Amino acid sequence: MSSISDFFLTGLISYGAPLFGLALMLGAIGIPIPTSLLVIAAGAFSRQGMLNLVPAAGIGLLGAVTGDSISFAMGRWGGNWVSRRFGGSSIWNNAQSTFNRSSRWSVFFTRFLLTAIAIPVNLMAGSSCQYRRFLVTVVAGEAIWILVYGGLGYLFGSQWEVISQFLSDFGGLALGLALLGGGIYYFMRRRMQKSMEPELAS
Amino acid sequence: MNDTKPMTKKVDRWVMVLVILGIAITAFYSFRAVRSFARVQLTGLKPGTTDVEAVRGWMTIPYLAQMYCVPADYLFQKINVPAAGNDKKSLYDLNREYFSGQSGAILPKIKDAIRSAQPACQQGKTSP
Repeated sequence: MSSISDFFLTGLISYGAPLFGLALMLGAIGIPIPTSLLVIAAGAFSRQGMLNLVPAAGIGLLGAVTGDSISFAMGRWGGNWVSRRFGGSSIWNNAQSTFNRSSRWSVFFTRFLLTAIAIPVNLMAGSSCQYRRFLVTVVAGEAIWILVYGGLGYLFGSQWEVISQFLSDFGGLALGLALLGGGIYYFMRRRMQKSMEPELAS
Repeated sequence: MNDTKPMTKKVDRWVMVLVILGIAITAFYSFRAVRSFARVQLTGLKPGTTDVEAVRGWMTIPYLAQMYCVPADYLFQKINVPAAGNDKKSLYDLNREYFSGQSGAILPKIKDAIRSAQPACQQGKTSP
């Protein structure tokens, strides 16, 4: 584990739920904090009697949702500038319309799966989604994240590091599969477009 | 038509990068995920099991006391560190402050202290 993880783990057992909420908030803004590891550890520490389960889960959820809202706001303000700068280009418009079609699911799944791309998704959502819709999705996604990851930590207790490593590797695998799936999808689309070009020309 | 060709090539290149990156990341994490899943299977679900080899530098003395059912004062006394003002410090910090120059010197001491105290603790006594 890195020294950042160690720092936050020591903080979690010493200062409890307030530090947990703060860490999840900073992580949701984009500061590189191993938040999934902290959620699993918080579940394990609850089992060991170092943390109160319900307040920790509540404060953690509040922190994560606050952080997501801050990065949404950054996307809204920054997005306006980006939109003015690139809004006319077809690539930008394509990317925007693709995201708009699946924004709710993108926001939902990146809370607990493919968490590495949660921040860009928040920024994109900020420039194109309604806040109320974003908030409902974020609360649902973060609640699942805290319940499932924290629940696994609680279940595994003192063996939490083993399950944390597995979930981290599984997250990486999911990201790789998503990139590969996206690549194959666009590759097939390009091939279809190319095969149709001569027909259209004739 | 001439303007769109370089653009098309650029998009094709990005698609290839995406596929290659996807294959590389999938291969790397598949191996790691299988390995860590095997570790999960091997470890099994033993939430209360506490082996002293699980002691880490980020842990604090009160946490170790709770985890291994050993009084915190006893652990502080065994490693010759005053309890006052040190209950929120990690073993790394205590090592730096009280065992300066000796890398990792605190870990064997704390493990020995836990080992010597645990049997008494498991028999239901509060202090070793």
